[in-house]
Amino acid sequence: MLAPCYSHGASLEFRGGENMGKKRKLKYNFETLLLLSPFLVIFLVFGAFPIIFSFFISFTDYSGLSPDYSFVGFANYIHAFKDSIFLTALKNTFIFVIGTIPFTTVFALLLALIINSKFLPLKDVFKAGFFLPSVISMVVISTMWMYLYSADGFFNKMIELFGRQPLPTSWLAYVKTALLSIMIMDVWAAVGYYTILFLAGLQSIPEELYEAARIDGADRKALFSKITLPLLKPTLYFVIAINTIRSFQIFSEVFTMTGGGPMNSTQTIVHYLYIVGFRNFEMGYASAIGYILVFIVLLITLIQGRLLRSEAL
Amino acid sequence: MKKIILLCIMFALLFISLFPMLSMFYTSVIPSGTLTKVVKERYINDFETKYVSYLQRKVKGENINLVDDSPNSTTSLAAIGRVELLTDKLDVRVAKYIEFWVKGSGNFSVEIIDAFGGKYTENFTAQPEWKKFTIKQKGIKDIDLRYVSKFAFNFEDGKEFLLDDVKLVYRFPTLLNYVNVLKEDMFSRYILNSLIVSVIVVAGNLIFSTMVGYAFARRRFWGKNILFSLILSTMMIPPQVTIIPVFMLMKKLGWIDTYLALTIPMLVTPFNIFLLKQYIEQLPIELEEAAYVDGASTMQIVFKIVFPLSRPSLAVMGINTFISTWNDLFYPLIVTNSREMRTAQVGLAMYQKLNQIDWPRLMAASSIIGLPVIIMFLLFQKQIISGVTKGAVKG
Repeated sequence: MLAPCYSHGASLEFRGGENMGKKRKLKYNFETLLLLSPFLVIFLVFGAFPIIFSFFISFTDYSGLSPDYSFVGFANYIHAFKDSIFLTALKNTFIFVIGTIPFTTVFALLLALIINSKFLPLKDVFKAGFFLPSVISMVVISTMWMYLYSADGFFNKMIELFGRQPLPTSWLAYVKTALLSIMIMDVWAAVGYYTILFLAGLQSIPEELYEAARIDGADRKALFSKITLPLLKPTLYFVIAINTIRSFQIFSEVFTMTGGGPMNSTQTIVHYLYIVGFRNFEMGYASAIGYILVFIVLLITLIQGRLLRSEAL
Repeated sequence: MKKIILLCIMFALLFISLFPMLSMFYTSVIPSGTLTKVVKERYINDFETKYVSYLQRKVKGENINLVDDSPNSTTSLAAIGRVELLTDKLDVRVAKYIEFWVKGSGNFSVEIIDAFGGKYTENFTAQPEWKKFTIKQKGIKDIDLRYVSKFAFNFEDGKEFLLDDVKLVYRFPTLLNYVNVLKEDMFSRYILNSLIVSVIVVAGNLIFSTMVGYAFARRRFWGKNILFSLILSTMMIPPQVTIIPVFMLMKKLGWIDTYLALTIPMLVTPFNIFLLKQYIEQLPIELEEAAYVDGASTMQIVFKIVFPLSRPSLAVMGINTFISTWNDLFYPLIVTNSREMRTAQVGLAMYQKLNQIDWPRLMAASSIIGLPVIIMFLLFQKQIISGVTKGAVKG
């Protein structure tokens, strides 16, 4: 054994042991505070305080323009559920979440399974290639998809090529197609990211398990349903959970592509929060919308957690 | 065989996955038009109208007429003396050359005149049969190519010349869209802002996350576990909830429209602290102890020993922080008002609301904002992907 060249006492002291003198202890604590201070200031001022304060404003009629406000109790929360635009935004957000997550998850899982298979060469190329869209900002992605969706854009040209009547204007200008267009884009943009997560999950399954099962005469179907899927469950849960949280916060796509239009058909919770808070200057109401969002997201992730953990896949 | 089919399918999928990006880059270098219809030339006049009166709105001349004689089509312009083709602030920068056909015998000169009265002249000799002439855009001097208001043809006295198919032939591929976007639409400013903000935020995170991560990993202090779980739980709360108090705070501090507002709250983030704490915990403590015994101060231990040892983790964190800061829209949108302080994402989001007709230019704008991140990805693939599997990147 290598003998350490320092005394036991000094080591304990370094690790913050109890045998320090009062003066030393003061210095130790001061240094700890020094290490934490930049973070503590930022965290308290821009992290913790706003969370509490916005809860407080959600019970007032604060506008953001004048410093005067008065308490209105639950009026903002009650107003939200009578506000037809908010209800539309709520509905659209749910459609968006329910409509994209299954597709994103299934596509990502399939891609991950293919990339993980032994038959495929150039794994790194595919891994990087599919992931690339997810490092690009949503604004850039939205801009390029607006171009594809435009009146003389790629999709309309494709429809024309197959002899159908293309839409006379951009796909994003129609009540029926606008939200769907954003959803298609979002599935495209998100798949690569979750593929990487699934791949990491797949690669963490020990190869010996498969070998042992093969020796016992399991076919590929059995391997998949008895080994791959059960062991992938934590990853699956993680993927669905973070995708749900992310999808409920959809903003950039809507802000860039449609601004919530046409006729609020793409209005979402966060975009409506932005409109209410920073266009209509009803910051009290906007804070209430924010807290409704927190509540919905918490509730849904809890339910998802329960479902995915209990259900035998 | 199975392998080849699988490979083909995967390449097809990869193509679909990359297609929007490829079409964006392709469109950004076309002079005009769209992906499916690239416009490579622009007619100033082909004289195919039947009516001289109609023609006279665009063509001014003492003695002009339409005749049935043309190199490529049916009619051309017969003129004696001076003819002016009005072009109404034509942007000639995108043209490779100006092309026209002339028939006649004798000399003539062509003047290109801009909206400010600047003039460029070039002399030619025409032949009795149709001949194509070109003026190279690169050779044109002394005028503002952005606002060319007319082309004037001075034909030799008394003789009749025929003129046809005056057009601009565009450069393809062209980088002009990029130049325009950077110079005229302030994108160079937006990109500079984003660079400044991203670099400061990354630097802040590298330094502060190491300090805080070290404190959580190694130091003992009162309320450590409670504070740590508090920090982690704030990660669950969507940033949109806190944005209103943050905005009010920024307004109170007078930080709206400053780099302070764009950077300070981002200087150290819970996730990065978590990442660094995890990493520092598994470093060998003996090194730090040895340094302590040798009389190193706490700050020296953090920055001379822990910091270099955490390099792999810091690289992952720095790169991912750069990308997420560069890509952020919501926060900079709220805390900036003036055009000068917009970040790249805000600039692009606002720009495309105004500019949806000129697709090549818009695609150049979005390419230029997407490129830094794409280049980062190509260089640091490994770190970025490992950052993802640790559960990071993109909120």
